[in-house]
Amino acid sequence: MLVIGVLGSRALTKDWLETGFLALLPVTEQKPEIANAVQQHNELLNRKVIWLTGAASSQEAITQARQLKQQLQQSGLFKTLMLELPIQQTVNNYQQLFPYRYQLLDAETKRTLANNPKNLLSQNLETLYSPMAQILASDLEHDPLLLFSRYFNAQNPLKLNVEQGVVVLHNANRFWALLLTDLQDEHLQLDKLETLLTLVNNATAQVQAAGGELMVTGMPLFTAYGADSAKQEISTVGVGSSVGIIVLLLLTFRSLRPLLLSSLAIGSGLFAALVACVLFFGKVHIITLVFGASLIGVADDYAIHFMCDSFGAKDWQPRQGLRYIFSGLVIGLCTNLLSYIGLVFSPFPALQEVALFSAVGLLVAWLTVVLLFPLLLTGFRHTHEPIMLRVARYWQQHWPIWLLKNRRWLIPIFIVFVAGGLWQLTPRDDVRLLQSAPATLLNTANKIKQLLPVSQENQFFLVSGRDVNDWHHNEQQLLARLKLFTQQHELMAYQGISDYWVNEQNQHSNYQLLSKTLYESGLVKHYMTELGFSKQAIDIELKQFSTAKDKTISLPEWLKTADEAKQQLWLGCDERRCLSMVSLTGVRDLSIFPTLQSLQGVTWVDQVDELSSLFARYRIRVSGLIIAAYMVVFIGLGLKFGWRNSLNITAVPVVAALVALATMGWFDQLFSLFNLFALLLVLGIGVDDAIFFFMADKAKQKDEDKRVSTSLAVTVSALTTLLAFGLLAVSSTEIVHAFGFTVAVGILTALVFSPLIGYRTRDL
Amino acid sequence: MILKALFLFLLSCNLSYAADVLANITIQLVKTPITQGEFQQEKRLKILRKPLISKGSFTYSQSKGVIWKTLTPIPSLLLVNEAHLLTGQGEQAVPPAFGKVFKAMLGGDLQQLSEGFVITGEAKKSAWRLQLTPKDELLKKIISSMVLSGDTELRVLDIQEVNGNLTRISFAQITHPEQLTHQQQADFERLSP
Repeated sequence: MLVIGVLGSRALTKDWLETGFLALLPVTEQKPEIANAVQQHNELLNRKVIWLTGAASSQEAITQARQLKQQLQQSGLFKTLMLELPIQQTVNNYQQLFPYRYQLLDAETKRTLANNPKNLLSQNLETLYSPMAQILASDLEHDPLLLFSRYFNAQNPLKLNVEQGVVVLHNANRFWALLLTDLQDEHLQLDKLETLLTLVNNATAQVQAAGGELMVTGMPLFTAYGADSAKQEISTVGVGSSVGIIVLLLLTFRSLRPLLLSSLAIGSGLFAALVACVLFFGKVHIITLVFGASLIGVADDYAIHFMCDSFGAKDWQPRQGLRYIFSGLVIGLCTNLLSYIGLVFSPFPALQEVALFSAVGLLVAWLTVVLLFPLLLTGFRHTHEPIMLRVARYWQQHWPIWLLKNRRWLIPIFIVFVAGGLWQLTPRDDVRLLQSAPATLLNTANKIKQLLPVSQENQFFLVSGRDVNDWHHNEQQLLARLKLFTQQHELMAYQGISDYWVNEQNQHSNYQLLSKTLYESGLVKHYMTELGFSKQAIDIELKQFSTAKDKTISLPEWLKTADEAKQQLWLGCDERRCLSMVSLTGVRDLSIFPTLQSLQGVTWVDQVDELSSLFARYRIRVSGLIIAAYMVVFIGLGLKFGWRNSLNITAVPVVAALVALATMGWFDQLFSLFNLFALLLVLGIGVDDAIFFFMADKAKQKDEDKRVSTSLAVTVSALTTLLAFGLLAVSSTEIVHAFGFTVAVGILTALVFSPLIGYRTRDL
Repeated sequence: MILKALFLFLLSCNLSYAADVLANITIQLVKTPITQGEFQQEKRLKILRKPLISKGSFTYSQSKGVIWKTLTPIPSLLLVNEAHLLTGQGEQAVPPAFGKVFKAMLGGDLQQLSEGFVITGEAKKSAWRLQLTPKDELLKKIISSMVLSGDTELRVLDIQEVNGNLTRISFAQITHPEQLTHQQQADFERLSP
């Protein structure tokens, strides 16, 4: 233990917790460039919080947004708060890009020029004669063809209403002022999230008090609510189960010692497991921790069997008791180890981790029980007969008799129940089911999405090319297809930087296009003369055009003028390739996008879908491994105790697992990878129960007491497990609920069937 | 060239005006939910040696916005309300406060206008004249003043830009129908998707 402690103090000082889901993929399937892109994509999303203050007039909405901004600023939680659009930056960008107006043409202008250049001129006239000419053509003097106005407008495809520098949105009867914020860091720390929640609640109350309305959305908020509700639930359930377990153990043993000792066994097991995993893998994935923790139930089992044995003899001595239950503990450990170790033979890193974690945890907990308990339980004797013991005695005597007597009709019912349940069992691996956001939050998010269709989808395209030109070509091919989708209303908008920055080659051809269609043909001269430009102005324009001939702007230069959202799309070049992302907004049907991967250099990245299918693959793999493990357990027990006994013993956990699965089917419960971890727990405890009953039966001293103490141990162990995990079934988080439900049903079934073991040999 | 960028950030702010003059004119103005008529717009840009003159018709609807239909020299249609602006080239960004101010001017909504402009003026028995000066710093850099004049209706609107450009819009044949025509309704329909 000392060794573990020392190793642990070293290993755990490092950054040891892994939370990214891509780490769950088999090594061969991990693509670093996708991981990078996903990270960059999420970094932006994970920090953004969108606030909208609503009021009856835009003036009130803006005033409230200003107050809100101040309040948020004071919290120190945010890196940036944007209410007024950054005007100086816009002016700068305009000036930086203006010299390249003949090279940077937007797609629409290019199309018009290629098809019918005169259309461009008449569109200009339309603009100039409209009452808005001041605004749309304010730079007519320097840009008589309004080329740059067109380009600059096309850079922001979303047309937003701006008042007093603030974006104001309008729906049925309210005006909404938009405030965009970025959290300080993208690692969403729990305490920060709590501060955020409090901030949202306070701000909502304040805005409402002022007669307005506040809508807030953003990834951090979803995470905050999720963490908050999970925390509340776990603490409610945690308090409930702790109290339950303490009361149960005190009632049974009338001593604090069992409680402390089981904590010791569990604690040392979990700690050793954690240390071993960090030492071996470098990092532990959070999923390993969550499901490795289910091991508590099994580790506790050993301790309780040992301690309950003290009721099995009048003058109980720990060493003597150990001698008696030792073989049971050994077999229990072996079978448990087998069922978990099977997970090693899987390409999925998390399962290997779970396997090592569980194996080490079980072994250390077991060693603690076997090596330390005899010492620590010295003088552990009882003069009382706990109620639990009386219940257990009565129950183990009468229950099997009743079961066996009525087996004629119980068995058909049982078979129909199990078969029917399994028939209805359908796996659901969609990760979105794991998220349980409150309905109000989802409603707000939807409302905001309708008002402000800027929120990007989680899915995006990754475009690569050998060099910048190759990448540009590939992305343009993709954007052309996406353009078609927007025309078919499959997609509201997309954003790829090749639409805004064209490569040098295309900059030249844009210039050539202008030259050929408007300048050489004399159309520009004619148009300007008609409008009333002076001869001198016309000459200046023609001269400016001819001197701009060889101008080009490089991508890095252009990126400096772009906003953050566009900069994020560019992933850079290395020796082998250049990479970019194309983001989507307002997708109707996701299934049409993966087909675009047939285009050169295009990859569709759908994290949600990928994670769902990953869970499905984990689920199938784990199922297979569990079945294989039990085959091995069956064979092992068969070789030692004979096939018939082996069948009896393995029947208990298998039946418990089947009933748990069937019940899930009947009640239409969520069935995914996570239930299987619950089943592992059920199988582990079920096989222990069966083995201890079997061993009690085999014991030389054929007195009833051993069976009674065993049934007490089985009952107490089942009840503690139920209290520790089964209570999770009341959770409103579907995944937690499913886990608890599976454990509860499985453990109860094992409890019901295990007393049958060894009973028949007595031939009643 | 900064103008364009500046226009993106116009303001329309607080109040302070000759309340009595406004009240006076407000009483004179015919106020109905629908106003329509013909316009002539004359733009004198410093860099152009001749004015840009266009003619057409307009429809103002208190609840729906404005239809601005240019007939000559280039037929075109412009639809605008507080939130949307539609031209022949599709949906455009609504320039700051443009929808609001434009609609308020055509509808004679002086209350609304006083939010963003300092209003001075004079009202005689049958005619009135108002001078609007933008309050916002940014808008001041572009528009030096707007002058509205009329009687029971708004007759002339002058916009004087800082750089010397001048726009004059004159209105005629003003009527106040009870209902929108089908065509007008269809046009407004396009504004509110």
